[in-house]
Amino acid sequence: MPEPAIHVADLRKTFTVPVREGGFLAAVRSFVRRQHREVHAVSGVSFEIAPGEVVGFLGPNGAGKTTTLKMLSGLLYPTSGEVRVLGHVPSRREAAYLRQITMVMGNRNQLQWDLPALDSYELLRAIYRLHPDDFRKTRDEFIELLDLGDLVRKPVRNLSLGERMKVETAAALLHRPQVLFLDEPTIGLDVTMQKRIRSFVAEYNRRCGATVLLTSHYMADVQALCKRVIVIHHGRILFDGELATLAADFSADKTIAVTLKEGAPERIDFAPYGEVLGSEDGKVSIRVGRGRAPDVAGRLLHDLPVADLTIEDPPIEDVIESVFAGASAEAPERTPEPAATR
Amino acid sequence: MRPLRLAWLFFRVGALNDLQYRANFWLQLLQSAIQLGTGLAVLGLIFSQTLALNGWSAPALLAVMGVHILMGGVIGVLIRPSMERLRSDIRDGTFDFVLTKPEDVQVLSSVREIRVWQGVDILVGLVVLGVAIGQLQESLGPIEAVAFGVALVIGALMIYSFWLVVTTVAFWIVRIDEIAELFEGVYQSGRWPVTIYPEWLRVSLTFLVPIAFAVTVPAQALTQRLTPETLALAAGFGVVALLVSRAFFRIGLRRYSGASA
Amino acid sequence: MNATPIRLVSPLRGLVDVYLQEMKIAVAQQIQYRAANYMYMLGMVAEPVVYLVVWQTVAAQQGGSVAGITAGQFAAYYIVWTLVRNINIVFTPYGWEERIREGRLSAQLLRPLFPIVEDLGFFLGWKPVVMLLWLPIAFFLALIFHPVLNPSPLAVAVFAVSLLGAYLIRSLNQSSLGLITFWTTRVGPVFQLYIAAELLLSGRLVPMQLMPAWVQTLANFLPFQWTFGFPIEALVGNLSTAQLLGGLLAQLFWIVIGSILVRVVWRFAVRRYSAVSG
Repeated sequence: MPEPAIHVADLRKTFTVPVREGGFLAAVRSFVRRQHREVHAVSGVSFEIAPGEVVGFLGPNGAGKTTTLKMLSGLLYPTSGEVRVLGHVPSRREAAYLRQITMVMGNRNQLQWDLPALDSYELLRAIYRLHPDDFRKTRDEFIELLDLGDLVRKPVRNLSLGERMKVETAAALLHRPQVLFLDEPTIGLDVTMQKRIRSFVAEYNRRCGATVLLTSHYMADVQALCKRVIVIHHGRILFDGELATLAADFSADKTIAVTLKEGAPERIDFAPYGEVLGSEDGKVSIRVGRGRAPDVAGRLLHDLPVADLTIEDPPIEDVIESVFAGASAEAPERTPEPAATR
Repeated sequence: MRPLRLAWLFFRVGALNDLQYRANFWLQLLQSAIQLGTGLAVLGLIFSQTLALNGWSAPALLAVMGVHILMGGVIGVLIRPSMERLRSDIRDGTFDFVLTKPEDVQVLSSVREIRVWQGVDILVGLVVLGVAIGQLQESLGPIEAVAFGVALVIGALMIYSFWLVVTTVAFWIVRIDEIAELFEGVYQSGRWPVTIYPEWLRVSLTFLVPIAFAVTVPAQALTQRLTPETLALAAGFGVVALLVSRAFFRIGLRRYSGASA
Repeated sequence: MNATPIRLVSPLRGLVDVYLQEMKIAVAQQIQYRAANYMYMLGMVAEPVVYLVVWQTVAAQQGGSVAGITAGQFAAYYIVWTLVRNINIVFTPYGWEERIREGRLSAQLLRPLFPIVEDLGFFLGWKPVVMLLWLPIAFFLALIFHPVLNPSPLAVAVFAVSLLGAYLIRSLNQSSLGLITFWTTRVGPVFQLYIAAELLLSGRLVPMQLMPAWVQTLANFLPFQWTFGFPIEALVGNLSTAQLLGGLLAQLFWIVIGSILVRVVWRFAVRRYSAVSG
């Protein structure tokens, strides 16, 4: 087992925030005396990430994802716990460390608004002390990979949001960092642009062997890039493992999609087989307990003139949702049928 | 009076909001004290060298300073915040939210934001004025007091008109942040009666940037230098300024709707 | 792009490079916003013109001069003032406030460079353009107010060097001040206090010789007068050679003090920032 690129043990971060209430009197009262309370943004998180691994970091807003990323990148000092990235303690913010990482945040603004990106790139070259030849090679490669073309020659303010994000993403990686912290790298972008950024990150990971930890609201990002996901909620890790097993672990259901042969009877009652989710173009979706899926599928094939039948995990979004729903209620996962327990 | 009611509503919300930032009160007080201290130091320096500046005695100049601080407070509480909001709204395209409200756009744009704590300057200005009046030899009659009040209101309306015109320019030229800086710089010249300035500057400070009307004229009312003719001129010019600024704002609005359609 | 290690240029070359790039960007921006920036410069002229008019008025009333300074010398003082003021424009504490509020500081903290280095380079880059823009303003002010000055070549040379000194001292001091934003989020009052002290103790408001003796003594122990009074007087004040060269040494002293201070404050500020920024 090689030395992990990222090592996090029992990481915690607690903020103290003022308490505010609504209303005029409350405002006057808090003018005189203000109350504070503690917020545990991250409470005891541990994980390791191997060099070259791409890991998705999932969780609802306020789960502690960004706080964790900020601690990993050295922007935030942990309240307690241990963090090591590439052998460095991030909060020391050594230049040698900062040169090896990058952090991309949703609203990036590294670039000079009024100037072409190329000028800002030159500045970054100077700041990171990059050798001019290396810099030029990387820059031109990025321009090609992201299809930037003339965009880097126009003032940044004249670019569309998507174009700007591409140009910004390139800027964030010009120093060829070994570890990438990507916080919502595709937020607000249209599907094409999301795909472009996604494939760029994948390509960068492949060519440079860089380690990537990313958060995203778009499951497509996670599915395309990450084999492994870490799910965090209320500052704690709920799940750490392969994306594929997430569904198996957290979803009690499977979805069976059935298409009947031409000429089959018009009205068939599917209710006895499971919960009917809907039907479309002759294709009927039925939700059944995970354990019962093979059995129900057998019965369907036996009872009806089936043209096509598939058994699928529910969409990953639904799985994630049920993970958080379960965690919020502090109860085990939702079990629609008693027979479906694993 | 619908505009006043609207202004009151926004005033209340703004006050509620500002009350949350309690430190700002003390900070503003400190800030005002610093400015007052510097102002007094300058007066002290000047009157250590001379007895009167162009016929203005020390108490008379103190009165000018009081009006200057007072008017600065009025601008800071009522005029500047809304105008800056208007400017940023036009720049960021969020002005559409104002346009879609069933109110007079100019009124709504002019009362939306207030900064309560800037009002400390109004209090400081009043205190300085009080001290100045106490030191002035002449007695202050009701006529002077009324003339002062009238001149002050006219002055404030003229400054408002000026800001509205300048901010309206944002409909054409997006980047006008520096104009605010320019005004801050020029407003400092109101610390002194405009009569001491060379003619080209005096005329600019009267008709281009109406600082003479906003500060010097009310101070003249207090120090019995104000002639009825000057007050009438101020009133007339004030009305013209209001009408012109409103007309200009409407042209700007038409341009905005036309361009964003 | 592959996994081979990255070659770095030497730290010195990197630093020079940063300055050059920052200057390039500053000049490009300056040119882009020339109209707006000129407005800003014009607005700044109001301040010295007010001082100048007031003191020329006093001088006229006192039979031509105040404390030995004639109307023409006042004019020279305040016109040179406008250049020194423009050179003295630095990254203000308000800039820090905005930088933190808009999250740009985080991006800068992720870079392997002391952000103040970037600020120094950027604002230094402005200055050549500013000087060009200043010439017409100075020309018109001279037409109106009739300045009187006759500096020696040495005085001109010291003046030129002292401009850089003034810029550095003011930059470093205001950076330290700006870092206070890490604790208060509202730096306005502290900044105002600084400006008030500067007005009274630097020669920005009036030539220092008009100040009471105790104020002049106090000013000798503080950095302010080396950012306004000294450069201006180097050109207009008929200073002796010893005063001129001694002044440059004093500037150097305050640059060293300012650099140390900003480094120390920076260390604490970053610790503070990384403890609370959510």
